[in-house]
Amino acid sequence: MVKKRVPEWMNSSLWTSNPSPETEERYTPIPIPIPIPKPEPIIQTPPIPEPQIVKQQESIQEEEEEEDDEHHGPSFSPEDISRQSQLLAELSRKVINLLELRRLASQGIPDGAGIRSTVWKLLLSYLPTDRGHWVAELARKRSQYKHFTDELLVNPSEITRKLETSTRLETDESKLEDKGLLPRSEIPQGEHPLSLGKTSIWNQFFQDTEIIEQIDRDVKRLILTCISSLGIHPLQNLISWLFFYLQEALRRILIIFAKLNPGIRYVQGMNEVLAPLFYVFRNDPDEENAASAERQTHFLFCRVVKWIRDHFCQQLDNSVVGIRSTITKMSQLLKEHDEELWRHLEVTTKVNPQFYAFRWITLLLTQEFNFADSLHIWDTLLSDPEGPQVGTGSLIIGYVQETLLRVCCAMLVLIRRRLLAGDFTSNLKLLQHYPSTNISHLLYVADKLRARSVG
Amino acid sequence: MVLVLALGDLHIPHRAADLPPKFKSMLVPGKIQHIICTGNLCIKEVHDYLKSLCPDMHITRGEYDEDARYPETKTLTIGQFKLGLCHGHQVVPWGDLDSLAMLQRQLDVDILVTGHTHQFKAYKHEGGVVINPGSATGAYSSITYDVNPSFVLMDIDALRVVVYVYELIDGEVKVDKIDFKKTATSQSAH
Repeated sequence: MVKKRVPEWMNSSLWTSNPSPETEERYTPIPIPIPIPKPEPIIQTPPIPEPQIVKQQESIQEEEEEEDDEHHGPSFSPEDISRQSQLLAELSRKVINLLELRRLASQGIPDGAGIRSTVWKLLLSYLPTDRGHWVAELARKRSQYKHFTDELLVNPSEITRKLETSTRLETDESKLEDKGLLPRSEIPQGEHPLSLGKTSIWNQFFQDTEIIEQIDRDVKRLILTCISSLGIHPLQNLISWLFFYLQEALRRILIIFAKLNPGIRYVQGMNEVLAPLFYVFRNDPDEENAASAERQTHFLFCRVVKWIRDHFCQQLDNSVVGIRSTITKMSQLLKEHDEELWRHLEVTTKVNPQFYAFRWITLLLTQEFNFADSLHIWDTLLSDPEGPQVGTGSLIIGYVQETLLRVCCAMLVLIRRRLLAGDFTSNLKLLQHYPSTNISHLLYVADKLRARSVG
Repeated sequence: MVLVLALGDLHIPHRAADLPPKFKSMLVPGKIQHIICTGNLCIKEVHDYLKSLCPDMHITRGEYDEDARYPETKTLTIGQFKLGLCHGHQVVPWGDLDSLAMLQRQLDVDILVTGHTHQFKAYKHEGGVVINPGSATGAYSSITYDVNPSFVLMDIDALRVVVYVYELIDGEVKVDKIDFKKTATSQSAH
């Protein structure tokens, strides 16, 4: 894994480290939550969220990073090791107890041994809790995805060809004489490329091209930011192959999603939510799982988007489920817990929460922290132990949202000193480029917020 | 999946005022990748209109075209197919298949698109295929007054071409299609 050399003072176990997923023996230390009342936020250049994706991908492909792998002093706490072994123990049971898994996962999933990908799959109900059913379930999902690609990713020429080969025999070709008028034939169901009919496959195809173009642009941009932030020229051979492969996979996932959900289609920003999912599954040390990363990401992406789809829909902006009301809820939460800060932010400095919270909430905090941190946050979001076990859609949405809002509140509370001292510009700047902090501490505070509001 | 529009013999403004409105409503920019035009547009405005449908336009000179700079013949490659373009008034007798076949061998193309007769035709011979898209406006020709407006849209997909024929018969657009594959043993002249 390629990593920048860090100065000595940063080498304490307080800061999160980058995962090295392919080595099972090495544990990367998870920072121990130290209950400091107000931790010093690190003033850094704003953390670029994505570079880790390509770094990790490269490491999987190139496998040259063994010597480059740098660790902060390997101080595995007994807690980390025990948590890892607890998780492994839980996962290897025949019928997995989801509640127990949740409890363990909400403390953070260790980055080694590919546990995260399996745990996420269980938490999002991609895999059933009974281990015996896994093989059957995976096979079913595989065929379903293949069905999607076959049906939705073909262009109309191929569709018409399939339509007519099913209705007439190929032997017509040989009957054609060498010389003579070419036979004209009826077009099936009035389908021709210039058709303007609503149900015409050609017409739909041309309408879809717009969405596909936008998806292309966004995916390209996503990958280019990763690559360019590493300072590698995208035309180097291996990188360009990687670039192309990643682009194709992400593109397919988003296109299939857009076609399956004509209501929400594709909205800019979904690519950011897709990135961590794809990363986690692609870096699964289990070969087979890594190969089917695209398929798994797609299904899980659909699940995750269900929670946040209302935020992406513009018409729902002002409704009860829309983004505005969620932001208001967050604001209320902040008011309950820290009225002084709330008043300072919203009334005195007039920092409208929409300016910063919009991105936090719609993109599930992927843009605010570096990659490893956002994975950690997602662990907590997905595994809220007090959430419903067998969830109906809206219940789950409610619980995930609640956790998310608590984390957002915690983010605000952690930098309250700086916020209280700042004016509109400096506060806005700070909130839009949130300084990196100790994630475990952040989650700890978020958890405490829950306890207080219940009490 | 490349869409190629083939049309010609519009004779605007001398013999016809404009394309039939039903055709015009179907021809929107953004769907077609290439336009090949047999000639006799005749004025620059029509050229500009076609260019607005698709920036990649190929045109050969018809005898009434006002722009003298168009070439007499043109060849281009789209996908696996070589297309040849010529107006057709140069080939005598007009519309005669053997003479057109000679031209096709001369240009060494798989599909030859010519016009001038204002009649749609799609013909196959050993050398390849000859397509005549007819007149897109239904303008009268030197041979006959009874002309149905027609044009052709080709869907080129690897080794297979689907030719969609659009004709305006009695005020209604009728679409037919013709399928053919390029055989592996190429039959073009050496």
